[in-house]
Amino acid sequence: MQSIRPLRSSITTLRLVRRSRTYATTSRSDADLYDVVIVGGGPAGLSLASSLRSSSVTNGLRVALIESLDLEPTRKWNPAPGTYSNRVSSLTPGSAGFLQDIGVWEHVKRDRVQAYKGMKVWDGVSGSRITFDADLQDGASTIAYMCENNNLTSSLLSRISQLGEGIDILDKTRVEKISYGEDTGELDLRSWPVVTVSSGKQLAARLLVGADGANSPVRTFADIESRGWDYGRHGVVATLNLSEEQLGEKTAFQRFLPTGPVAMLPLPGPHASLVWSTTPENAVALKSMSPTDFAAMVNAAFRLSHVDLDYIFANVKTGIANEVAWREKNTAFDPWRVPATVTGVQEKTVASFPLKMRHADSYISERVALIGDAAHTVHPLAGQGLNQGIGDVRSLIKALEYAVQHGQDIGSVLSLEPYYSEQYLKNHVMLGVVDKLHKLYATTSAPVVVARSLGLDLVDKLGPLKKFFMAQAAGR
Amino acid sequence: MAILTHLPRQLLPTTPGRLFLLLPATTRAFSALSRPPPNYPGHVPLTTPERVLLGAGSALVCFFNPRRADLIAACGEATAVPYFIYRLRDAMLRDATGRRILRERPRITSKSLDLAQLRRLRDGSVGREYVRWLDRERVSPDTRSAVRYIDDPECAYVMQRYRECHDFYHALTGLPVVREGEVALKAFEFANTLIPMTGLSMFSVLTLKPRERRRMWATYFPWAVRNGLGAKEVINVYWEEELETDVDTLRSRLGIEMPPDMRSIRKAEKERQRREKEMMKGV
Repeated sequence: MQSIRPLRSSITTLRLVRRSRTYATTSRSDADLYDVVIVGGGPAGLSLASSLRSSSVTNGLRVALIESLDLEPTRKWNPAPGTYSNRVSSLTPGSAGFLQDIGVWEHVKRDRVQAYKGMKVWDGVSGSRITFDADLQDGASTIAYMCENNNLTSSLLSRISQLGEGIDILDKTRVEKISYGEDTGELDLRSWPVVTVSSGKQLAARLLVGADGANSPVRTFADIESRGWDYGRHGVVATLNLSEEQLGEKTAFQRFLPTGPVAMLPLPGPHASLVWSTTPENAVALKSMSPTDFAAMVNAAFRLSHVDLDYIFANVKTGIANEVAWREKNTAFDPWRVPATVTGVQEKTVASFPLKMRHADSYISERVALIGDAAHTVHPLAGQGLNQGIGDVRSLIKALEYAVQHGQDIGSVLSLEPYYSEQYLKNHVMLGVVDKLHKLYATTSAPVVVARSLGLDLVDKLGPLKKFFMAQAAGR
Repeated sequence: MAILTHLPRQLLPTTPGRLFLLLPATTRAFSALSRPPPNYPGHVPLTTPERVLLGAGSALVCFFNPRRADLIAACGEATAVPYFIYRLRDAMLRDATGRRILRERPRITSKSLDLAQLRRLRDGSVGREYVRWLDRERVSPDTRSAVRYIDDPECAYVMQRYRECHDFYHALTGLPVVREGEVALKAFEFANTLIPMTGLSMFSVLTLKPRERRRMWATYFPWAVRNGLGAKEVINVYWEEELETDVDTLRSRLGIEMPPDMRSIRKAEKERQRREKEMMKGV
């Protein structure tokens, strides 16, 4: 309990101090004082900023957000209908509910968001499968929403500007240095992180929040180790055009291949988003294929045996579409389980990124909190990355509200501790489960395949168990 | 079968007949009275009990009468699923030549092969040795029966291909068609292709003469296991394209050692027995 003064008054004091400092002649500790400085203007950072502003408890805090990219294009984001970005995330009902609570959901372009209520997941070696249906859960009609990251960030920005002035958004601004402040005699900033940005401005933070991604400078400053491993796999993403005749109910499809899972997630209309985790060599091959061959290969990924896929990747350089057509004719696949045929891929949407698992040793230290990818990076197979980040924001904002209401220093470990203890284990379990799933399905060893297939069939038939897993994944 | 459990349960008991028609033939459940249409000409879909019975029955008869080639074939088909024939098909799919064979599906018949032309090839070539073998055993490539009991058309072709290539394996290894040679070759095939029937036929080692059986254990089984496992998959040889290749060259390409010449061993053995008998008479 370092400070029992009400925070509001402390802010006023700080502001007064700052104003008085502008008349001072020393330039060394010319730092601007903020209650919260958020580094990173991605979904996690912007969610935190807008929830700080929309909460009646925390909206008096002085907040700055630093982002290295230009946010103007995101503010003006107005894509052509029928074209979708390749950066799409799955939002669970839990995350969507939080966005609703902080007033962001109404800014989201809903015609570009696709809800789905069914999910089909199967083993690419044995064919054993599991289906999820939102109806299994009482009163639920949606498993998740597919939403472009741009759609979300632009909605967050509109919500922030709707709430009026109050957040200093410094975009096109790089973080040059983070260090501790000094004791100037009138103001002791020795425990306060001071962020020096590319414009030369200095921001002193009562609480510095790292929402700055996997290679977080804030985490490095706080000397928090992040542990984990690289999967040696790349996630290939693309926006797909589908055959219109075969469009059924909107469903998410995922097939576990020994090289990694391939998922097709529904977008509005005859479109879908692809996330194919595969070897770096296969990713390079996919990126260099013609659109026809790429489409054929995606169709193959959901239909052909892994033996065929391996062979085609390794040996077939020309006429891939022809080879796939021949194999499709001779492969017995269940037409009920495969997604609609891919007819094409949207221009310039094929991209890839390396997959890794990382977890920071801690999310907090004195006057520092980490959220989103700065704290944890997860394999995309369960579509949980963004939801974990939103979960962090939801939990951190709760902790900050409590601290403000009880007159605590919001930067103290004491105030941040509830956030860390609520999120760390939850995220750790999710990271672990996803990591084990990846490893379990990365093998073709017969006894393992038999055991995992029996397990999957069992879960598929045990309603309550399945419901439990769905509730966990839905973030309720 | 797994699919059925995902259907709305109330639908199942009332309209089974119609519902089953929606399902792919490979997963459809049926009885002997409602056999589904064949997946390819000549195909006979079997229920699991039928398959088990066919496998066991044919194996038993073959053990006592190994001349029933039709039953050996049936036994091979009944025991090849699950797993084994798919494994062999995948082995073909992993290999460029094997893939080409699956794509073109060549058949070996007296029409597809010009036997007269093969007879003119030089000694030691695959084609010449093959036709020499056909002539000596007085068989023709057409004596191989068609596959009937394997449901997947592509796997059925793999079985057909194995069957039609069997005669080439004799030419490749030089093993004769006497029972002893056949058992040694089957052991090699089992180690190489894992087709269960070839493994089952090794039981016929019990029906060999004691001297032959000793020779089998001491010489030919070790050869078969070492070469069958170590060599490349022989199913991936496009025999039609190797007719002019030298047998020795092909053997070394596949990584197969020539087994000890069974014919000369048997001949020497017979000679010795004859001499012993004469000596006994002379005494």
